Amino acid sequence: MAEIRLVDIEKKYGNFLAVPKQSLTIVDGEFLVLLGPSGCGKTTTMRMIAGLEDITSGDILIGGDRVNDKPPKDRDIAMVFQNYGLYPHMTVRQNIEYPLKLRGMAKADRAARVQETAEKVELDALLDRRPSELSGGQRQRVALARAIVRKPRIFLMDEPLSNLDAKLRVTMRAELKHLHHELGVTTVYVTHDQMEAMTLASRVAVMREGRIVQLDTPKRIYSEPADLFVAGFIGSPSMNLIEGAIRGGVFTAQGVSLPVTVSDRDDVVLGVRPEDLEIIQRDEAPIQGRLYALELTGDSTLVTLRTGKASVCARGPADFEAEINAPCHFAPKPGVRIHLFDRTSGQRIDGDAAQGTAA
Amino acid sequence: MKDRLLPYWLLIPAFVIVLATTIYPLAYSFVTSFREWDLTKQRRPGGFVGVDNYLHAASESGFQNSLWVTTIFVVTSVALTLVIAMSLALLLRRKGRMHTFTRIILILPFAMSPALIGVSYRFMFNPEFGVLAKGIGAVFPSLEGTPWLADPDLAMAILVLTDVWHWAPYMTFMCLGGLASIPRETEEAARVDGASNLRIVFGIILPQMKGVLLVTAVLKTIFALKMFDQVVTLTGGGPGVSTETLAFFVFNVGFKWYDMGYASALAWILTAIMMVISIWYVRMLLSERKMATA
Amino acid sequence: MRRLFAWWGERALLALVSVIVLFPIAWMFLTAFKRPRDAYSLSLDFEPTLQNFATVFADPWNLGDMVLNSVIVATVTVLIAVPCASLAAYSFSRFRVKGRKFLFFLILSTQFIPAVVIVLPFFLMFRTLGLLDTRVALIVVNLAIVTPFVIWMIKGFIDAIPTDSEEAAMIDGASRLRVIKDIVLPMAAPGILTSSIFCFILTWNEFLFALILTRRDAVTLPVGLVSFRTERGDLWELMSAAGVMITVPIFIMALLIQKHFTRGMTAGAVK
Repeated sequence: MAEIRLVDIEKKYGNFLAVPKQSLTIVDGEFLVLLGPSGCGKTTTMRMIAGLEDITSGDILIGGDRVNDKPPKDRDIAMVFQNYGLYPHMTVRQNIEYPLKLRGMAKADRAARVQETAEKVELDALLDRRPSELSGGQRQRVALARAIVRKPRIFLMDEPLSNLDAKLRVTMRAELKHLHHELGVTTVYVTHDQMEAMTLASRVAVMREGRIVQLDTPKRIYSEPADLFVAGFIGSPSMNLIEGAIRGGVFTAQGVSLPVTVSDRDDVVLGVRPEDLEIIQRDEAPIQGRLYALELTGDSTLVTLRTGKASVCARGPADFEAEINAPCHFAPKPGVRIHLFDRTSGQRIDGDAAQGTAA
Repeated sequence: MKDRLLPYWLLIPAFVIVLATTIYPLAYSFVTSFREWDLTKQRRPGGFVGVDNYLHAASESGFQNSLWVTTIFVVTSVALTLVIAMSLALLLRRKGRMHTFTRIILILPFAMSPALIGVSYRFMFNPEFGVLAKGIGAVFPSLEGTPWLADPDLAMAILVLTDVWHWAPYMTFMCLGGLASIPRETEEAARVDGASNLRIVFGIILPQMKGVLLVTAVLKTIFALKMFDQVVTLTGGGPGVSTETLAFFVFNVGFKWYDMGYASALAWILTAIMMVISIWYVRMLLSERKMATA
Repeated sequence: MRRLFAWWGERALLALVSVIVLFPIAWMFLTAFKRPRDAYSLSLDFEPTLQNFATVFADPWNLGDMVLNSVIVATVTVLIAVPCASLAAYSFSRFRVKGRKFLFFLILSTQFIPAVVIVLPFFLMFRTLGLLDTRVALIVVNLAIVTPFVIWMIKGFIDAIPTDSEEAAMIDGASRLRVIKDIVLPMAAPGILTSSIFCFILTWNEFLFALILTRRDAVTLPVGLVSFRTERGDLWELMSAAGVMITVPIFIMALLIQKHFTRGMTAGAVK
């Protein structure tokens, strides 16, 4: 177990700057998720920690040791790959055993450790199969077993669940979480799936174009996104973002007028989550438009209205029904958070909480 | 990292082989091409004669003939191979037992020794007891007794035939590879839109095969420029000099007349032609790959 | 109705292609089992005989010696070229080092150099070294043609193997060399085997070098064919018997690796 420190690390491919100077400290025992869209540098960052990718400049410290020039094998890490990276010509047993073999562990000890690990991930019945004879979920378990068998200081996981079907992903997610709790090993986890990030992480680093734009607990990332990018990226369905201006303490856009606690200015983007809106039957509602679409999700209905060019989505009750194109009104639920961002910089502008004031 | 030099270490054995077996002999023959060296008279290389050997080539009828022969051969065999290979690929790409069987046996001509192919066709076109000569004679009585390999044009035609028989299967596989990489959807969309088979081939498939066909054409050109084996075993360059390709001509100069200086110069002219095409080809490959990975 | 016509048309075309491909080969096989008298007739009604094979293996043809030469030259060439090429192919496939492009370009380009250019200087060198008409000489020149080709082919195969497993092994604690031994070689084995067989076929069928560099002792099978052209004319039945000897081992190999064979042929060029 160890702390990982990235100090001003930078990665260039020729002239392309993949990761500009970034620093990040991953605390001993924490589950840190690097979250971002594809091509945001999250995988590159992880591969630099692993030693699979050289660092252009900066330092990486694991447990206080500078590891820049150490090959992956000397960093005492384990990694789970997106495509599992299993050894197709070896049986499950040999796959799990391989890291131990490389470290010169005695044969009897190896067998015992493999058995113990396989039981932990429920693979003990499949030890003599080859990866090609396993299902996706089982392969995933082999990859996991191979990572934990050695008891490394650090786990790296590169989108380990993205090749599984939706149902299995949820099960494996819970297993990963349990495993981390049980082993307590520092874990860095890369994903583009915000749901995975929210459920697994102790802290999330949201990345964009090689930069970490926000590093915080899942709760804070959700409730207080640092900028428009994070606001739009976290949450499903994503946050409603409406462009407008603040006049006399009221945010105004076509069909929208919401009192806010920020002083008057132009070029503002207002953000409000669908789950923070409710449908009301009054004419002078803060958000008005015509009903555009209804999507039943089972436990609720997503109601989208259009006003001018903007569409706004609210999560309404499952039994909500109305005619398409009928007038429709939303209001923030009492006490919910309204987010305000600068349109040009994307930065958050409401320093402290702006409370929605539904009359 | 300690492994930093490993990429180079891994390259060394192969590189030593290439250096010793290709680069060095090339340099050696390049130097020889500027010397006078008649093996029948001198054991050791003679003096330098500047570009005399190259000038000699420019004025010699044997060389000019071989250039002409090679050009005819390359153009016809490349064109025929390509058309046949592409047609075969279109025919073979569907699934079916006969398709599979044909695909499997197509390996055989390519695996067969070109020298042996030459011998076999020589046998089959023998006017007295060749099975093809007799067969053609039976179908077209006017062609009975045609001295196939004794006629300059027919000999060339048969030389091209053996080469196409040898290479078209390989090129078919290349075209099949190309066809497999074309997304099925575009063709299906065209079919749904009501395009005829012919339109689909010319309007949808061939345009997408441009890259593969180009590569195939250049590759085949390079192989055709080297044509040698069947010339020896099928026609012996004849009748007269009508099928003396460049490679065969260089061989004659070097190993019948033992004029090493002149042969080296000729070999270098051939190399220069191939190099231009090869470099163009490799460039094309690399840039295609770049596009593919971009 | 039109459908049916197209269906039969396609089958008829396939049958025609098969005949065109198989006929010359079949005719050679038939001739090899005919008596000399029958060989010059087109009749299919003949009494098969092994006499031709007995003749070619006996004095003065001694085909056995040529078979031995061909086997030794092709095998040794493969044993040298393939390991060296595999290492180089791995390096080209996996490392982005300086000069890589230039080196690969250089090696690829040499593949297209006409054999006749290389054989001239080798003839002169071997003459000086007294190596003319030896198997060693043939192996050396064959390496020139085969090595770049095999590098190219194996690289195609290695490129197609995902790097995940190798990276996993490095993280599991293996050095690069260990990764090559434990992971890459087993995974690339089918490709390397295919390339080896390709390389064997190329060398086995090689004609130009053998024609120029051998006379009596190191003559290989394809060159041996030429010796059946005598003053009495071409001895077709013996040529055919020798042809069968050249062809059968190669056909067996090619068909054994049939699936990989076609993939390997196109791997380098199309991808």
